Amino acid sequence: MLGTKWMAKLRAGLVVAGLLAVAACGGAADNPDGPVRVSVWAWYPEFKGVVDAFNASHKDIQVDWTNVGTGPDQYAKLKTAFTAGKGAPDVAMVEFQQIPTFVILDGLVDMGQYGANDDKNLYAEWAWSQATDGDKVYAIPVDGGPMALMYRKDLFDQHGIPVPTTWLEYADAAAKIKAVDPNAYIASFGSDGGWLNGLMWQAGCRPYGYSQARAKDEVKINLTAPECEKVVNLYGDLVNKGLMAQDKFFTADATAALDSGKYWTWAAAGWTPGYVAGSLKNTAGKWAVAPMPQWTAGADEQGDWGGSTFTVTKQAKNQQAATTVARELFGRSKTAWDIGLNKAFLYPLVKDVAADPAFTGKAYDFFNGQKVNEIFVPVSEKLGEFQYTPFQDFVFKDLNDRTAEAMSGSRQWSTVLEETQKNVVAYAEKQGFKVSR
Amino acid sequence: MTSGAAGNTTARTWLPHVLMGAGILYFLVPLLWVVIAATKSQPDLLDSPALWFADFNLLENIEQLFSEDGGVYGAWLVNTALYAGLSALGATALAAAAGYGLARFSFMGKRFFETALLGMIMVPATALVLPTYLILSELDIVNTMWAVVLPSLLSPFGAYLVRVYVDESVPVELIDAARIDRAGELRIFWQIAMPMMRPALVTVFLFTLVATWNNYFLPLVMLSDADLYPLTVGLTTWFNTAQQDAGNRMLFNLVVTGSLLAIVPLVVAFVLLQRFWRSGAAAGALK
Amino acid sequence: MTRSVPITAPAADDLPPSPRPVESPSRRRRRRVTAHPVAGALFVLPFFLVVVAFLVVPLGYAFWLSQSSKSLALGTRFTGIDNYVRAFTDPVLLDGLLRVVLFGLVQIPVMLGIALAGALTLDAVTTKFAVAFRLIAFMPYAVPAVVGALMWGFLYSRTFGPFADLPALVGGDPIDFFSASLLLVSLGNIVTWAWTGYNMIILYSALQGVPREMYEAAVIDGATPVQIALRVKVPAIRQAISLAAIFTVIGTMQFFTEPQIMARFAPQISAGYTPNLYAYNQAFAYSDFNYSAALSFTLGFLVFVVAYAFVFVNRRRGARS
Repeated sequence: MLGTKWMAKLRAGLVVAGLLAVAACGGAADNPDGPVRVSVWAWYPEFKGVVDAFNASHKDIQVDWTNVGTGPDQYAKLKTAFTAGKGAPDVAMVEFQQIPTFVILDGLVDMGQYGANDDKNLYAEWAWSQATDGDKVYAIPVDGGPMALMYRKDLFDQHGIPVPTTWLEYADAAAKIKAVDPNAYIASFGSDGGWLNGLMWQAGCRPYGYSQARAKDEVKINLTAPECEKVVNLYGDLVNKGLMAQDKFFTADATAALDSGKYWTWAAAGWTPGYVAGSLKNTAGKWAVAPMPQWTAGADEQGDWGGSTFTVTKQAKNQQAATTVARELFGRSKTAWDIGLNKAFLYPLVKDVAADPAFTGKAYDFFNGQKVNEIFVPVSEKLGEFQYTPFQDFVFKDLNDRTAEAMSGSRQWSTVLEETQKNVVAYAEKQGFKVSR
Repeated sequence: MTSGAAGNTTARTWLPHVLMGAGILYFLVPLLWVVIAATKSQPDLLDSPALWFADFNLLENIEQLFSEDGGVYGAWLVNTALYAGLSALGATALAAAAGYGLARFSFMGKRFFETALLGMIMVPATALVLPTYLILSELDIVNTMWAVVLPSLLSPFGAYLVRVYVDESVPVELIDAARIDRAGELRIFWQIAMPMMRPALVTVFLFTLVATWNNYFLPLVMLSDADLYPLTVGLTTWFNTAQQDAGNRMLFNLVVTGSLLAIVPLVVAFVLLQRFWRSGAAAGALK
Repeated sequence: MTRSVPITAPAADDLPPSPRPVESPSRRRRRRVTAHPVAGALFVLPFFLVVVAFLVVPLGYAFWLSQSSKSLALGTRFTGIDNYVRAFTDPVLLDGLLRVVLFGLVQIPVMLGIALAGALTLDAVTTKFAVAFRLIAFMPYAVPAVVGALMWGFLYSRTFGPFADLPALVGGDPIDFFSASLLLVSLGNIVTWAWTGYNMIILYSALQGVPREMYEAAVIDGATPVQIALRVKVPAIRQAISLAAIFTVIGTMQFFTEPQIMARFAPQISAGYTPNLYAYNQAFAYSDFNYSAALSFTLGFLVFVVAYAFVFVNRRRGARS
């Protein structure tokens, strides 16, 4: 990138200083006869066991795993590495909503050319379609977050409040909860882009569309569709009435509130059982899971919150080997999924693993023996297509900033999506996209 | 403080003492909280009165701290000390020579360079880190300790402070006398000027030590290998992980205990060395 | 290149044995820079090289980056000053600037006021208690900003922080330190906590350097300690105060770490909450390294203007008095 003269001079100077000698010790050279070494960035919990299992079962390929940070921290590093033209790993964990972003940054390898399309039927359809673009395979799905409603069964029972099956009933329940306990809320509006996105997904809102295979510079943005607006309006109304708290999810405050009876529900996801079981000690055994409330009584619309994949970067030295790593770290590996399900509490996107009675029939003490995966698995099967923009960070951040304004009272909830739509369209056009609705 | 004025003094100083007492409370309570919180297990941390002890769990926390993720915290501690020590030594040496040269010599471009020093202090670090990353990446030294140490050698404020201090405290006549004695310039610098500059050098050393010890942004961008992280980056990584999968791992208590252990060495260093650096700081402040 | 001959320099034999032999004011005032231009340049050279390698070159590179635009769909092209035009008309940047300026207008005087009062107190009161106060006030400086922000994040918590429930003692609602209306105050408190002691020590050190003769007369005239502090001591350390102020202004304009960490607790911290945070997000979240470089340059330029304006006004005022 910096092929200028002074660069060469600076480099020469540093050679004299002996710095390159030091730096050279950093990278171990591949032994031509030994196994191919593939570097992996990922932040899954308990991942070491998965890597060990892979390395034990593969002679020619060995994985070097690094945890360089969670989510945004790792993405920032990937983006700098792509900009610098070096420094990226061979394989990187990437969440679904980020895949188009890294595709347009020209950072990801199409694994289709290395046979990854063979895995198509292994994974849940919605996940495979988000990971691919036509027959180009940019990512191999690992885990997902089909949504369901976690609620305090003991409190709902005790006060005779019916568990909501529609969002209308949910709003009713919110008022009833406030009536029986003025310090309690039905839930918190958690200021989390993925969560709000999952709720909109469940409401039938499909605000984004992008396919590089179709056109690199065309993007669909339609946040003001009624299916999207109704979600923000419902939640905005609950916040305005003081029926919904405003703690940001995953802060110690929000966790403490879940564990103290301050929140009675949490519209959560397939990875929740693991998340809550470790941190909510006081209320263990008092929770249960119900299907998401519906917008139309009797309907069966579902959404997803979270989920991740493995991608192969264009800086990979051996793309074929890297593809093997991305496909087989989890993939069909029984050992890996045993760790993934029972220690890391991932929701598996491998259909056979999700359908296995060992998973669906598992009773959770935290949910008083309820087999909650019997609820999550059908949700994942029901999920349809949902696309993202190639600048999803901007969209989520803007959405987050606008809802924050609404929470502080400096903006009407009804204008949140309108404003985000305006900002996102302006941004997209500045980036050279043709925007359609 | 004399016995004669004692009665008068106590009468007149109760107000300053009350105000200082309030100040001590203000500055101390958050630190006290860290100390208390470091003795709690994760459930107690989120569930017991913030400023009072629960079950004493400090030793378990420390044990867990040094064993989590294969004992990586120990590496962070060593890295931090190493990066900060090397950077501070290097920056102090550079600042000492440059400050002395600027104060006691005349050469082309000196005026301009001196004026530029203040300007250099104003450059936002975020503006430098990214281009520096791209350049160091070209040289293949990102994700090594040098990517953190080398940029940290830059201390315009240090050079400025030494310059001011030499101006005030190293007499020209002494240097001239040494020259008449035919002492070499390096020897004059090393044997005559350096000892007199000591308070300024201690100050520059401590301040660059703190700056590197506490730096977050530079190592965050430069390093991607957890074994190379300094404490600030490592602890934030743990904090993020703690939020991400609170259920799977008990990390909040480790973040707190780790923070306490990260603070202690610097506080001790400053309190012990304050006699030295205060006079150096005064020189910088007077000018 | 003129080599000034040290006519007045005492011969080596004349030097008294004391390490600081030259106390005669007439001699000290004659400040001559002596000789050996090459040696002098060599002393500065290593520092100069570091400045070039880690300041001039990166800045030049950043400037070069800021001269082109990269759009996701169209790729990179040269656009000259376009990024700067965009920056100066970008409402997000302007909002962030305004916020930082408002923040500074309140926080800087409060912090420096407390620091000055503390320094004057320390200069006048020499009890053990005062020594303890001095040490404790300085401790937060040794706490990394990241750790400080995480710590205050816990302390501000509504559920288990020690402060949020204070109003409950008189029947009020718990304080939400992360709400839009309190956020700047909460951030200001973190900065004040961290930096007051540092500034206090700087000012205190300067006060220690004020010759006692300067106010002995006032003491004899029966001036109270407060009068002496305000009329003699404060004017005597004016330079130190304005230097502390300049550095604080520079730091405030570059406000970054605390809001970046605090955003994990406070949804009200938007992507462009401070200009530096905005530049960071442009680069590391939106991958727009070119615009980010332009933003950083704009910010650096503004800091430069503000700081030099401050120096200028201060000099003029100093000259007049």
